[in-house]
Amino acid sequence: MPFGTRQDSVGNVLVVGGGVGGMRAAMDLAEAGLKVYLIENLPWLGGRVAQLGYMFPTHDCVLCRGSSDHGYGCTRPAISPAFLDFNRHPNIEIMANTDLIKAEGQAGDFTVTVRHRPTHVDNARCINCSLCTAVCPVDLPSPFEAGLAARKAVYKMAPRALPDSYVVDKVPRCDTCRRCESICPTGAIDLDEEPYEVDLSVGAIILSVGYTLSDPGEYEELGYGRYPNVIHSMQYERLVSRSGPTEGVVLRPSDGKLPKRIAWLQCIGSRDEKYPYCSSICCMYSTKEAILAKERIEGVHCQVFIMDERAFNKEFNAYYEQARTHYEVEYTRCRIQQVLQDPKTHDLILRYPDEGGVVKEERFDIVVLSVGSRPPSTAEELAQVLGIELNPYGFCETDPFAPLQTSEPGIYVCGTFSSPKEIAETILDAAGAAGDVMRLMRRHLGAAPSSREHPFLWQPNGMVPERDVSGEPLRIGVFLCRCRPTLDGIVQVDELDRFAQGLEDVVHVQPLDYGCFEAGLEAIRTAIEDLRLNRVVIGACSHRTHEPLFQRTVREAALNPYLLEMVNLREQCAWVHVGDPDRATRKAQEMIRMAVARVRVAQPVHKLAVQTEPSALVIGGGVSGMTAALSIADAGYNVFLVERDAELGGNLRHVYYTASGQNPQRLLRDLVNRVIGHERVQVFTRTKVVSHDGYVGAFRSLLRRQPRDNQDPVEVEISHAVTVVATGGQEWRGDVYLLGQDPRVVTTLELEDTIAHRPEQIVGMKQAVFIQCVRPPSEVEYCSRICCTNTIKNAIRIKMLNPDCQVVVLYKDIITYGFREAYYTEARRRGVLFMRYDDEHLPGIRQEDGQLRLVAWDAVLGQDVLFQPDLVVLSMAIEPSAGIEELAQVLGVPLSVEGFFMEAHLKMRPMDFVKEGLFFCGIAHYPKFLDECITNAQATAGRALTILTKDRLYVGGVVAEVDQSLCVGCLTCVRTCPFEIPKVRYSDVGVGKIKGAAYIEPALCQGCGTCVAECPAKAIQLATYRDEQIMAQPLGSWVKDA
Amino acid sequence: MREEGSLTDAGNNGQGEFEPEITAFTCIYCGYMAADTAGALRLKYPPNVKLVRMPCTGKVDVRYILQAFEQGADGVYIVACPIGNCHHIHGNERAVARVKYTKRLLDEVGVGGDRLEILFASGGMGATFAESAHAMVERVKQIGPNPLKLAPGAG
Repeated sequence: MPFGTRQDSVGNVLVVGGGVGGMRAAMDLAEAGLKVYLIENLPWLGGRVAQLGYMFPTHDCVLCRGSSDHGYGCTRPAISPAFLDFNRHPNIEIMANTDLIKAEGQAGDFTVTVRHRPTHVDNARCINCSLCTAVCPVDLPSPFEAGLAARKAVYKMAPRALPDSYVVDKVPRCDTCRRCESICPTGAIDLDEEPYEVDLSVGAIILSVGYTLSDPGEYEELGYGRYPNVIHSMQYERLVSRSGPTEGVVLRPSDGKLPKRIAWLQCIGSRDEKYPYCSSICCMYSTKEAILAKERIEGVHCQVFIMDERAFNKEFNAYYEQARTHYEVEYTRCRIQQVLQDPKTHDLILRYPDEGGVVKEERFDIVVLSVGSRPPSTAEELAQVLGIELNPYGFCETDPFAPLQTSEPGIYVCGTFSSPKEIAETILDAAGAAGDVMRLMRRHLGAAPSSREHPFLWQPNGMVPERDVSGEPLRIGVFLCRCRPTLDGIVQVDELDRFAQGLEDVVHVQPLDYGCFEAGLEAIRTAIEDLRLNRVVIGACSHRTHEPLFQRTVREAALNPYLLEMVNLREQCAWVHVGDPDRATRKAQEMIRMAVARVRVAQPVHKLAVQTEPSALVIGGGVSGMTAALSIADAGYNVFLVERDAELGGNLRHVYYTASGQNPQRLLRDLVNRVIGHERVQVFTRTKVVSHDGYVGAFRSLLRRQPRDNQDPVEVEISHAVTVVATGGQEWRGDVYLLGQDPRVVTTLELEDTIAHRPEQIVGMKQAVFIQCVRPPSEVEYCSRICCTNTIKNAIRIKMLNPDCQVVVLYKDIITYGFREAYYTEARRRGVLFMRYDDEHLPGIRQEDGQLRLVAWDAVLGQDVLFQPDLVVLSMAIEPSAGIEELAQVLGVPLSVEGFFMEAHLKMRPMDFVKEGLFFCGIAHYPKFLDECITNAQATAGRALTILTKDRLYVGGVVAEVDQSLCVGCLTCVRTCPFEIPKVRYSDVGVGKIKGAAYIEPALCQGCGTCVAECPAKAIQLATYRDEQIMAQPLGSWVKDA
Repeated sequence: MREEGSLTDAGNNGQGEFEPEITAFTCIYCGYMAADTAGALRLKYPPNVKLVRMPCTGKVDVRYILQAFEQGADGVYIVACPIGNCHHIHGNERAVARVKYTKRLLDEVGVGGDRLEILFASGGMGATFAESAHAMVERVKQIGPNPLKLAPGAG
């Protein structure tokens, strides 16, 4: 189906790559009213994450939490994709199996050519009956299952995919026997389909093309491909995934036995001569894999052979501790050089030195190679087509101060194409790149609007007004999809037809050949209009795939979409009861009877419109806050930027050089000048936010400004649609290692000040010792993420100023993830010494005869080593800035265990608070580097713009509502709500006119109904799931035998 | 207490063997998707189970369960997201608590708490969903028909 040439508007964006990053970016751009072409070179969306069963460290599979909008769904194609076929955003056009082959023009005005490779199946006509697969004679290994399962030449990646359709892979072995073509009941297969090219006009391009897995076969000595029980980590992920080939049971490939001992070998394809960078994710995912093994296999021994434990993000450290102490996963610091196999048993033999240096030999049932990330396979081709630069490792080159921009203006990058990273960072990148694009294309924002009133039901020409059916007597229409051969025949649809006609208030029953094809949809619309139907039941397939389509269809016929009840006769009846037509038909009758009973009491559901204030509040005037403020202001919205200090800049004021050599002071000056000069940014220094009320689109806050000269504070009330929190963090200061008592003991920031302003002090030094991981002893331990790189940066600076100075770094783990590994290598090359300590052997320091004496344990020598340093540099923990608890209270948002702000979802929504319309970025989220703060700030700006670009927001819908006349104010809802939404308000009046009744803010309610079920007075009801609707159904009785 | 004759009316398939009538509540996330996955994989399970869709298993009210039994269901079960993986954080834990409570009620009134169960399946676990239907049907066959069906006017 060619798209034809599109020259209509340059308010379009091209997103290349349909993994989590591409989908996130596309979604945000679409919400901001830009049109998006989302192209993917595989036949389906989902990317790498689609293959994963679990995410670390949350272990959830709920990618459906990717958005507060319940229409978003889940990215796991086995379950349902992030964008359901019939629930797509009207501003997103998905082109799968498509490559970018040419690009011309410049930022704001590109013409790109994309080439669609044929899938030979018409998505719109494929009904997923799987007959084609059944007759296909060609067997191939399934790359989605990492080669662990077979597929046919005509196949689908997983039961659910997007596009939700089979494809024909015309591999050389496919001899075009045309069996699939002739058996297809809807004529959807065309083996003669040709590739075609389309030109698209776009204003910007986002590259989110992911990564390739390292090839474990390159390391012959590890036995992959030769020994059956050596597998790579993606194979393990598929085995352990509940949607994988074994539904989560990991067995030894050689004999199918339950493994008793599993080993993980880290850094395969990372941190070696050939691939010198760190892949950033493997330490964490192997920990996840080991925990999953421990949870599922009783008594299993899990051992991870690791170089450094790189747990450098929120909650990661606690996860490690849990793995080590609770699950008893064993970590051994060693790089395994060779795997041997016992040829009789296929057991694997590893040799490694223990803590004391004695070589041990151990047997394992399975060895998992933790493979790293390589640049995406399309990197070089894209670089050529787009003229963008790649870095020496083959990933996309970016500037640390503009981390999401490629070397070509107007072309942005997100996710692992710029450096190896985990899901949360990819999501931040994606939202940030979308934010960058919104700024570039500000004139087009909001040009292609969509509605949140009925998410994704929006139509270009608007909808007909809804019919008011409140006074009408019930007229129910029942439509039955035959979907031959997947439904009718297994369930007797004619029998169902007769049965439905006998049900109360049913005035029309109509079987349809294919309900989802245009002819079927037209028949439904016509019947509703001609017969004045006011309730509709459609017996067809899954709600998950088709409910939005049918909701849209009844809405097009002027009925409220909630007057429709769908019945899943296919996936949940016909497909599971093949060969039992009588009983399958009886169950189908029962399902139809329930739906009719339920739809009889259905009520329309409407959302409430909220006028959006065209302004944002940004709290915190550091690099993150200023970046977010500028992005929002550049896009055309007003910003109130609040800073509690007297001047802007935050921590950046004290950073003089980055590890990569740039001068952040240049960036700082630029940011401050632009913020102060911006007509849309209003800066409030010496100001605090003292109250924050309302909800997304319509917040009201009170700002209190403390004038310079001890006068009374001035208060200002502001209205704003969104709030961005960027309050940063600070270097912890504590009474440790003689800090503050001896001038030779300094913190990292103090050292940097010396290096920048008094470098001569360094020149005379003979020995400098850095101590990593200096943290408050009583607090939760977490990795401050930036200190290792900063220490290495400073160690190199000292070596540069004074090569004769001995520099020693006492560390626990060196966290130089991604390409930062190069600094670590560089430091060692320059002779910086690294010595590992642990909690049992903390360094000790004392003054003796005016000298500093520092004692450190050397694990290799097995004894203490004495230093007499001229300088001791402490890498202090980064903690949230003072007053975070107070601000959290004002905003009504939670804090994480580490004391930073807590996000809506650790992986999928790292920049959102649960409370809608509030976002946060920078070190307020977690310690991070300058480039990461910028990315994060742009992400929040992008998210904020998805709201600001709408004139009005729609809130509520399927949410809980309190009938206060029944409420006794018992607080049960307050206690049981998983999201802490219900409040008992003293100003409201409850049953018997008592003071205080529960109130549930419709803009905040997530619609789970937990409070409804718990409410002892039954004072709460959830729209479309009201008790009346559920209990009207025959929940226990069945129709008499058919 | 149970008469052969009334068993036929209480859900007999005509061949004399007792065929239980079972209601399963699922959330629209994992439970419903697991049922869909079972379908997509064409995994057969007995047609003795009908599903009731809930926004979250945290919405399954004790009254819904009791109504199902009052109306003659021989068994009721809830398919929830795995613990820790609830779309609504801990709705499934509320459902677990309610099942525990309702089991006691059912024991007290003589219907039997064993007729009620809660189990967990993530959306990809089609086989687990199908097996749970088999298992529940088998369990209820062992227990026998819901005694409330034999009461006058039940139906």
